[in-house]
Amino acid sequence: MSAEPNIEPQTKATLAGLGFAGHELSRATLDACVKCTICETQCPVSAVTPLFTGPKFVGPQAERFRNGESVDHSLDYCSSCGTCTLVCPQGVQIAELNSQARAVMKADHMPIRDRLIGQTVLMGKVMTPVAPIARAVLNNKPIRKVMEAVVGVHADAPMPPAQSQSFEGWFTKRAKPAGPFPRGAVVFFHGCAGNYFEVETSKKSVEVLEHLGYEVLVPKHGCCGLAQQSNGLFDSATKSVLKLCDDLRSAGADLTIVSASGSCTGMLKHEAHEIMGVEDERLHDVGVRTRDIMEFLLDLYDAGELPTDFGPIDMTVPYHAPCQLKSQGMGKPALEVLKLIPGLTVVDSNKTCCGIAGTYGLKKEKYEVAQAVGKPLFDMVKETNPDLALCDTETCRWQIEQSSGVRTEHPIFLIHAAYGLSTLA
Amino acid sequence: MSRVVVIGAGLAGWVAANRLADNGHSVVLLHKGLGGLQLGQGSIDVFGYDPARVTNPIAAVAAASAPHPYATLGTGSVVAAVAYLKQLLPGLLVGDPEANYQLPTAVGAIRPTCLAQPSMIAGNAHDGASWVIVGLRRLKDFSAELIAANLSRTELPDGGRLQARAITIDVAARESEIDSTGLTFARAFDDPDFRKRFTAALAPQLKPGETVGLPAVLGLADPTAWSDVAANLGHDVFEIPLPPPSVLGMRLDQALRARALEAGVRVVPGVRTVAFDAEGGRVRSVSIATEPAPRSFTADAFVLATGGFESGALELDSYGQVHEALFDLPVTTVDTALFHGDYWGPEQPLFTIGVPVNAAMQPLDASGASVYANLHAAGGILAGNAGWRDKTGDGVAAASALAAADAIGKERP
Amino acid sequence: MRRLTADVVVIGGGSTGAGVVRDVAMRGYSAVLVERADLGQGTTGRFHGLLHSGGRYVVSDPESATECAQENAILTRIQSEAVEATGGYFVTCPGDDPEFADKFLAGATATGVPAREVNVSEALRNEPRINPGILRAVEVQDGTVDGWKLVWGAANSAREYGAEILTYHRVTKIETNGSAVTAVLCTDLRGGDEVLIDTNFVLNCAGPWAGQIAAMAGAHPVDVIPGRGIMIAMNHRLVNRVVNRLIYPADGDILVPAHTVSIIGTTDVKVDNPDHLKIEANEVQQMLDAGEVLVPGFRNSRALHAWAGARPLIKDDRVAASDTRHMSRGMAVIDHSERDGLDGMLTIGGGKLTTYRLMAEHITDAMCDKLGEKRACRTASEAIPGSESTRTHRVSDRLADREADRFDSQIICECELLSRKMFTDALAAQPNASFDDLRRQLRLGMGPCQGGFCSLRAGGIAVADGALDAERASGLFRLFLRNRWLGIWPILYGEQVRQTALDAWIFQGTLDTEHLPGPDAEAVEPDPTLAPTTTKES
Repeated sequence: MSAEPNIEPQTKATLAGLGFAGHELSRATLDACVKCTICETQCPVSAVTPLFTGPKFVGPQAERFRNGESVDHSLDYCSSCGTCTLVCPQGVQIAELNSQARAVMKADHMPIRDRLIGQTVLMGKVMTPVAPIARAVLNNKPIRKVMEAVVGVHADAPMPPAQSQSFEGWFTKRAKPAGPFPRGAVVFFHGCAGNYFEVETSKKSVEVLEHLGYEVLVPKHGCCGLAQQSNGLFDSATKSVLKLCDDLRSAGADLTIVSASGSCTGMLKHEAHEIMGVEDERLHDVGVRTRDIMEFLLDLYDAGELPTDFGPIDMTVPYHAPCQLKSQGMGKPALEVLKLIPGLTVVDSNKTCCGIAGTYGLKKEKYEVAQAVGKPLFDMVKETNPDLALCDTETCRWQIEQSSGVRTEHPIFLIHAAYGLSTLA
Repeated sequence: MSRVVVIGAGLAGWVAANRLADNGHSVVLLHKGLGGLQLGQGSIDVFGYDPARVTNPIAAVAAASAPHPYATLGTGSVVAAVAYLKQLLPGLLVGDPEANYQLPTAVGAIRPTCLAQPSMIAGNAHDGASWVIVGLRRLKDFSAELIAANLSRTELPDGGRLQARAITIDVAARESEIDSTGLTFARAFDDPDFRKRFTAALAPQLKPGETVGLPAVLGLADPTAWSDVAANLGHDVFEIPLPPPSVLGMRLDQALRARALEAGVRVVPGVRTVAFDAEGGRVRSVSIATEPAPRSFTADAFVLATGGFESGALELDSYGQVHEALFDLPVTTVDTALFHGDYWGPEQPLFTIGVPVNAAMQPLDASGASVYANLHAAGGILAGNAGWRDKTGDGVAAASALAAADAIGKERP
Repeated sequence: MRRLTADVVVIGGGSTGAGVVRDVAMRGYSAVLVERADLGQGTTGRFHGLLHSGGRYVVSDPESATECAQENAILTRIQSEAVEATGGYFVTCPGDDPEFADKFLAGATATGVPAREVNVSEALRNEPRINPGILRAVEVQDGTVDGWKLVWGAANSAREYGAEILTYHRVTKIETNGSAVTAVLCTDLRGGDEVLIDTNFVLNCAGPWAGQIAAMAGAHPVDVIPGRGIMIAMNHRLVNRVVNRLIYPADGDILVPAHTVSIIGTTDVKVDNPDHLKIEANEVQQMLDAGEVLVPGFRNSRALHAWAGARPLIKDDRVAASDTRHMSRGMAVIDHSERDGLDGMLTIGGGKLTTYRLMAEHITDAMCDKLGEKRACRTASEAIPGSESTRTHRVSDRLADREADRFDSQIICECELLSRKMFTDALAAQPNASFDDLRRQLRLGMGPCQGGFCSLRAGGIAVADGALDAERASGLFRLFLRNRWLGIWPILYGEQVRQTALDAWIFQGTLDTEHLPGPDAEAVEPDPTLAPTTTKES
């Protein structure tokens, strides 16, 4: 973890002015702003700290004063959760404008830390073979204090739970189901976290898909680049996402791509295009075919094709819909699908954000802010069920689990159990 | 159980969605962003000016003539809508459809409204009242001095006068912050400790018998915040609505949303509905503009509650043509220029343009026939008036939403 | 009656008058400037904000081109605070003659206007919104200049040299003894006093109103033909450089990134009365079409505000054709002693803002000649107060300022990032100012919401701070919105309709402003030049 990864330097020339089509589109949307303040009222960060001037200020307001030069560094308090864009009734791409302004700022000044935690694959690869050591290190306060001092990751911030076997390792070594597969094939996109850290979520997703009668294909694939993108590293993020598209396309044309990594699906569906301005047929092709797993199940249900022979689960469980899922324009599919399980009461947190916002809450100067953002959620989770909470994306789960002390899993865990494929521990 | 898609999350959208769910439909509500409730005054207008100041709104509704939407809706639907709103928002709205409150605004005018939040009604202006308007130094959108002086020079609707003086105090909602929004203060007022600090700073400056007018920031999550402040001060207290963000409006918005979710409405936020598919005179589905590909929703009936010109549901292009943005529905025309040059003069003709409907709230074509049998429109998109001027916008929204929902209900086999 | 004495009275507070009073004062004359409204409220405040590189004239008017290039360099140095060195492009749009660029480049070399042809791909990379079909592009040193800052800077410099500036003073009479000027009589429009200024010399810098002033001295009528041009401000910078069509000067041939907006201009229609400038619907459509050529999608961009200015063209037969000694290109000086037998008065017309300093130099030279004195002009070398550092303005300056003081001062106008302190300081210095006066100095209400959120806020703060009483403040903010509307409705479509609807919802709906008791707007003295009659077809 201590070596600085070899990352191509971002040149100011490539980012100054952000002269790409995506930025011009986002910038054009500022014309729709009527200063109505709705985005400000929903921003989870400005709700807890006056250090952030708020989405309206940093987005459509400040953008009129920007000319390829970064003078408002407080915009870095934006967590990029995307809530502002989601709630804007006028269609301003507020979060996208903020992310692009941050990229201009970072082109001038990029802390080592922001490059390091953007390297999800690197972190996973480094940690998997030595998981017990990594776990020990990451749970070791003095060592975390050193990390805080050196790279700026807060000592109490949630870090990924290292696993002793990757998903890829499991998938290739297991006895593959013989079929038949009456519903044909789907591609499973595990994402970095789903491969290295959230191995159980990936396994259960694959088993549910196979239970439904799908053949699951998993081409070898890498990172979507989301963490780099949210830290303003657009060049390397663009390379990552296009590489991923090639990887996923290699499994076959026209196949639906299912993922349990809600934030990575967001990158493929819209963020790479809307924030970084990637215009590429490969991205579009993959994006159109990509479904979040709960979205996929709800689509089946809406089409009358989802078996609803769920066994009962007598439980009340809190559910938190992550920001990056909400920004995909599908509402909260997990809520709708979980409603089908007899005996189960799912309580929607109705909280805006858990605070982590990808990697935001890891940074020492943002840690307190992120904890304050998430506090109402943590309290709600603890009050609703001290033993289990549900959430679709991995960094949000780590944040909720670390901060509330409540085990937090992907909703697929309950679907898996309700289909009788496992019992809840 | 039929499926109904409601588009829009303003007052009309929420009322329609709640009503449809109550009527047993499976309801999906699609909305681009948060609706207009949190931009408004946080009370429910039924009829404020016709153009003289209205004291009995239902009587004014009964007297309304075309093209005002009330002429189509009639008093029955307005009375039902007022009752339904009070049922949806128990404890949050009080009032009588036959008697307007006359409440102060943040510029110091006296504004008629029908249903108000309990925290507002001590501000019902009357002859001989003795008020103190209290400002917060770090809240820039509420000048107690301006409001008090304007109230003092105003002849009240009852012909009398009131006395108002101003106090501005400096209690920080958050340390180090000088430019706090009303919402930031509302969150602070949710905290009993902050309320104690506030009352400790203010109480010594009050005179016996004074009623205290405050910016409408007395709590968002805690419905008892305002009455707790009043009890701590030992004075009657009222809230005055602020320009956006309106905490009063947020309370209504949040309560209606929560009620809809509780009633089983599936809400899909953050999506702009941009296209539709119709056949045989019926709308089959609508599509939302998600990236990278649109997503469509099929339903048996649709309620268009997308608002008016302020939301872009009605658009004026650079060649001077007005369009309804989603279904390209026929809109009314005016026989004058769309605008005139006097900002404070009569209503700008543009803002009276909208979608014409029948009693079932079905949009009509030039011949007076419904455009799509299963499409209903409600709220700001309707033709006939600018609700912010005659203060009928909320009443029209709620009554038209109820009429649309009930018309769908009657379609069921 | 108040009585003053001055060597020179300058009439007119636009750029010409301000430049002249500065020059006169720097040469040691006691001077008073009289302006019937606020500084820069006429033609000076009603242009597109261009600081010419000279490029526009390299083919059609080489001498102007050279003057512009020289004055551009001088103003960028002495009034850096008012200037943004944006740079500019001249681009050959599809359908334009590509060979004009060769004439242009040759003309630039001949006139000393810095210019170089750049690759189309480079131009498109730097300005991604401009027409991708452009055929050629030439880079020039166009900039933008804030006309109000320019005028206030010159006036403040003049004050430092002892000049007195009387705004909201209307000249009612120029007294003579039959053969020479003896005094100027004016009325203080805000205080109501009469003011008599004893003087032996009047410099008539009233621009489109110069004819009216000359008549007050009993001179023969001066034939001023105001040429009306309309401009439209778009909500944000569609371009960050000035972008010109690479053609002979034409209507709608330029898009100027001035402050946070971009301004398209302009038209040229002869009108009779500079106080009544219409914004005709067909001219608006003409500008939108022209904008579409420069920036595809222009019509779908948000137009904020439109205005019309009157070019101060003088077509006077009595100007001796041979008398070009003291003239800049496009400028006319009328010597009333030769023309009308009246000593002690010169009338100036024409000119352009970029060369305002040079015009002032020429006129003041002419006055010195008349007076038989030799006093050297120093205005080109001495920086104006506030511009000593020679750092030019940047569009990001206010964002940087608010980043620095966000914990110290509230923001009043969020669109234009105006702090409470900036507003209250200006109001304290000018307690009788209207909100429009303050707007011209502070950009209050000039952004997307056009006063929707800031105007009431400004009024409320003025009352809370004891600067204004509630009745006047209520009147001022209502007047401000009324005046803003005059420039909104002629170009109202698209996104700005949403804003207008929201603003109406706030002011009529939530605040019920129209039911405040009167007297209000009418209690406040209206701005004499700010109410152009506007018409638009339905």
